[in-house]
Amino acid sequence: MLGQFIETLIGGLLTGVLYALVALGFVLIFKASGVFNFAQGAMVLFAALAVARLAEIMPLPFAIAIAIAIMIALAYAIEFLVLRRLVNQEGIILFMATLGITYFLEGFGQTVWGSDIYKINLGIPREPIFLFQGVFPGGILLDREELLAALVCALLVAVLAVFFQVTRIGRALRAVADDHQAAQAVGIPLNYIWLIVWGVSGIVAIAAGMIWGSKLGVQFSISLVALKALPVLILGGLTSIPGAIVGGLIIGAGEKLAEVMLGPILIRWFDLAGGGIENWFAYVLALIFLLFRPQGLFGERIIERV
Amino acid sequence: MASQSEGPADTFPKLLVRNARVFGERAALRHKDLGIWQTWTWAQVLDVVRAYAVGLSRLGVKRGDTVAIVGGNRPKLYWSVMATQMLGAVPVPVYADAVAAELAHVLAHAEVRFAAVEDQEQVDKVWSVADRLPKLERLFYDEPRGLRGYDHSRLHPIDEVIATGRKALEDPAVGKWLDQEIAAGKGSDISIILYTSGTTGASKGVVLLAERCIAAAADTVAFDRLTAEDEVLAYLPLAWVGDHYLNYAQGLVAGFCMACPESTETAMQDLKEIGPTFYFAPPRVFEQMLTRVMIRMDDAGFIKRHLFHYFVGVARRYGESILNRQPTPWLGRLMYALGKVLVYDPLKNVLGLSRVRVAYTAGEAIGPDLFTFYRSLGLNLKQLYGQTEAFLYITAQPDGQIFADTVGPAVPNVEVRIADNGEVQFKSPGMFAGYFRDEAKSKEVMTGDGYVKTGDAGFFDAKTGHLKIIDRAKDVGRLNDGTLFPPKYIENKLKFYPNIREAVAFGDRRDFVAVMVNIDLTAVGSWAERNNVVYGSYQELAAHPLVYDMIERHIEEVNRSLAEDKVMAGAQIRRFLILHKELDADDGELTRTQKVRRGFIAERYAPLIKALYDGSREADIATEVTFEDGRKGIISARVKIRDVKTASTAPAMEKAA
Amino acid sequence: MRAPAATTVVGGEVLLSVQNISLAFGGVKALQDVSFDIRKGEVRAIIGPNGAGKTSMLNVINGFYQPQAGSITFKGVTRSHMRPYEAAHGGIARTFQNVALFRGMTALDNIMAGRTLKMRRGFFWQVLRLGPALQEEMEHRLRVEEIIDFLEIQAIRKVPVGRLPYGLQKRVELGRALAMEPDLLLLDEPMAGMNLEEKEDMSRFILDVNEHYGTTIALIEHDMGVVMDLSDRVVVLDHGAKIADATPDEVKRDQNVIDAYLGVAH
Repeated sequence: MLGQFIETLIGGLLTGVLYALVALGFVLIFKASGVFNFAQGAMVLFAALAVARLAEIMPLPFAIAIAIAIMIALAYAIEFLVLRRLVNQEGIILFMATLGITYFLEGFGQTVWGSDIYKINLGIPREPIFLFQGVFPGGILLDREELLAALVCALLVAVLAVFFQVTRIGRALRAVADDHQAAQAVGIPLNYIWLIVWGVSGIVAIAAGMIWGSKLGVQFSISLVALKALPVLILGGLTSIPGAIVGGLIIGAGEKLAEVMLGPILIRWFDLAGGGIENWFAYVLALIFLLFRPQGLFGERIIERV
Repeated sequence: MASQSEGPADTFPKLLVRNARVFGERAALRHKDLGIWQTWTWAQVLDVVRAYAVGLSRLGVKRGDTVAIVGGNRPKLYWSVMATQMLGAVPVPVYADAVAAELAHVLAHAEVRFAAVEDQEQVDKVWSVADRLPKLERLFYDEPRGLRGYDHSRLHPIDEVIATGRKALEDPAVGKWLDQEIAAGKGSDISIILYTSGTTGASKGVVLLAERCIAAAADTVAFDRLTAEDEVLAYLPLAWVGDHYLNYAQGLVAGFCMACPESTETAMQDLKEIGPTFYFAPPRVFEQMLTRVMIRMDDAGFIKRHLFHYFVGVARRYGESILNRQPTPWLGRLMYALGKVLVYDPLKNVLGLSRVRVAYTAGEAIGPDLFTFYRSLGLNLKQLYGQTEAFLYITAQPDGQIFADTVGPAVPNVEVRIADNGEVQFKSPGMFAGYFRDEAKSKEVMTGDGYVKTGDAGFFDAKTGHLKIIDRAKDVGRLNDGTLFPPKYIENKLKFYPNIREAVAFGDRRDFVAVMVNIDLTAVGSWAERNNVVYGSYQELAAHPLVYDMIERHIEEVNRSLAEDKVMAGAQIRRFLILHKELDADDGELTRTQKVRRGFIAERYAPLIKALYDGSREADIATEVTFEDGRKGIISARVKIRDVKTASTAPAMEKAA
Repeated sequence: MRAPAATTVVGGEVLLSVQNISLAFGGVKALQDVSFDIRKGEVRAIIGPNGAGKTSMLNVINGFYQPQAGSITFKGVTRSHMRPYEAAHGGIARTFQNVALFRGMTALDNIMAGRTLKMRRGFFWQVLRLGPALQEEMEHRLRVEEIIDFLEIQAIRKVPVGRLPYGLQKRVELGRALAMEPDLLLLDEPMAGMNLEEKEDMSRFILDVNEHYGTTIALIEHDMGVVMDLSDRVVVLDHGAKIADATPDEVKRDQNVIDAYLGVAH
């Protein structure tokens, strides 16, 4: 029983890592520009499609390199064609713009790359690792790919944390997020900053897309994963990088545990079907947070003098 | 380089030379400048003060001159005091917030030829009264901002004076000359003249002699075991005896380090950063600290708030007895230990009091609740009683003998007696030599046998042997029926309520006691916010019926406590009103040390006082106010008056001590 | 005792001039053929009734708006319009009518943000926080601390600006502009919404900036008393057109100006 619990927990945490990666892209853009980027999920899909299709005609590392170039070009296009035109507009208008970008990317991705299910082969052995075989009957099963995902995520977070917290770019990002005009007035080049964050979140999208894609196959449903990132954001706080990670882990682990542990109880005691908990658990948790701690676990409490 | 000081160090410059020799590389002075704490060692301080002194002498400062020092707690102003003393001249510090008229009075009376001032504001102030100061020759200033365009023929940056002196000191003969000047200082020289803010009339210059200052400081340094390891924050007015004694004199005697805050507004933060080991604050500062903590706790989360209140309760129950090493139940000890980790230590840390070894309060009575609160947190807070004329200490509570309502026994080498009329009189090592240029006043306060009259009424508590101060001797009056009326005693009882900032009681040669109350804007404002009381201004809040109800309840409680004491039962409060404006030193209603100027208030608010006694329900009042920039305006209001229930003189119940 | 400010700049070198600027939003003509210059070291006031186009003028100067006609000459270089980055880079700093601070940041960080363009060390050093970058960070901090000292805001250094009262926010905003060490400082109603005491403080700071750092200042202000006290020369705009350009005393007597202000409630 304990073995099963731990196994579920670890499996959940590893899924949570993936949620966290998507959420990270959101946080970056929100932190830097105050834009709630609904297109993050579409970017993950687009990036995964690019890597998958390119990998069919060239070695994976090249495919990744070109995908990075594509995502940066995409960032530039978004900045040049959309954001630049909308400087100093309300947050809701920018949000609507990202909605537009979402549907464009989803459609355009299929136009360019096709709409089948594609595989990404990361070249990782398929056999799982068994741990603690001496301690629990059958040991604990670990998926190598999920382990890799965790490592990639940790690495990305470390790099991003340094990039945004330690360097002066971090200060510039926060400045831009707070007030576009004032940031411009002190000489912060708005366009350049936006290019950086959209580019970086494009790269984060590649990482998320590849890992997700190698697990489930690259398909349209990947962009729906982005929706799971919303509760993650609410839990962690919109502006917090560590919040995105912790939020992702809590939701990943929580929904898996709820499914495995709570499901049987519902079946036995209430005579319900008991399934599908995984699908709504995250949103209910997010709702509870919205009621009691709207700024999230790590978010900045908005303090305004009235 | 410095002279081998011969003989005893009987002046402060000689002590400085000694400290540079003995404690050379130890920190003597700190100042937060541009966000960073700058530190000077004793050797460096001596070095810069020598240069400053030589620079001053080049500009004409010589033995016997008086030099005004006007400004806040800044190193260069403390150096001005030292450099002046080094030349045998006499520093005359003046409160930085003194209005031009007060400043003019002191500078003219002390016949100052020079003044070292902080900044443009003070330069402007001094120049604005220059026509009343014919003897004034030059000004030295610390902060150059805004002064660039000024005529500099009689105005010198202190930095420049120091630089000139430093250059001159390259000639060994100059150094030798300065050594002789220092050696020429005698213990019987005037060390400093401190002008008292004076509850009545114009301020008087208290003349203090060097050897007496040092003798007094040496006694209390021994009393509280202060050493060169100690550290203080100099945040109280530089012109006040407390700062000059506690920080300057004790610092030079013990060799400890004095830190100057970055600015007056940052003093609380600086306190936290410096973490002083010796701390003095008047009761009102402790009160403000507590009010701030309480307000923060009201805003804190559920868990934090409850933890705080629970453990403060634990501290109230067991803290004092643990601190005094009395038997305490083991559960109490355990909870106290837990509270120490969870609440008391973090709280003391937030307040900047975690390193404090000895803390004092004085100046007015401190509320027993307030006093016990800090003591129960483990802060060694004690009370002292002193005067400028005594060079501060007359009595102080020794460690371990602490009572909320006494000021302790006489400190070593001080003699205290109570005159027949109840007045406290003392004879002390630090006592003053007289008022500057005021023979008559000097004679008035000295007794034939060499005691000084304090003007305070008090008695020695039979149980503890400690002194208790009731009131100013001349303020203790009688009601028409002969009942004793000590106004301050009653006012203090009122002021122990956080909602009451200031109170003025009337009753002498009247039929009953009536009071005027000033609400505390912070406390009442926060109460108003919690209770959805809407107000637009101080005046509106003060007149609010619910505020009146609240104050009425406080006064009824005071009446009950007065009724417990047979002598005071007749002096219960019958009527009160809440003033429409805050009593303010700028309007002359308070002294610079924030004490009520009763006579002045009685005159200024005559219509209100009349109404208090003629049974009116309300009264109109118009008062002139002075804004910070010196402009004047009129505030007028209709003030309501209420009657209060008095408590019957219940059969005195035997209460457990 | 105050000596007359050493900034008698009549005939001084021209720092910035705008020539025949016209700006329209749709059909609304915000500025019509406006020309004036700002000389090195002076305090230049731009006044006018509400909706006269004062803020639009500042926005043209620092590049937020691109005029449809006219040109701007700054430090001898003539352009048809400025870009915000060019303006900031060239030494034009500004404050806003409704305080535009970085609300999530402390006062210190806000002012540090003003140093953005002065930071030279690359990303790599920043990451490692050593060597030249550390040295540089300390130098910038020192400059910022001098400004904090100058504006007497030590006590609020670490306070998030959102919590500060309005008057102090304005002061922090001025500090951020000063941190850019500008050649030209544009102040958009620096005293709007302040009480008398705060106004006096702010006036003193503006004069001190002008005197102490020698910064050229262009300010928009409603309070005529303040304008008279502070400025060397005044441009008066009305309905987007220039109606006067002279010393404060002359402007006060100008019939056009009096007419423009008549009946305009403030």
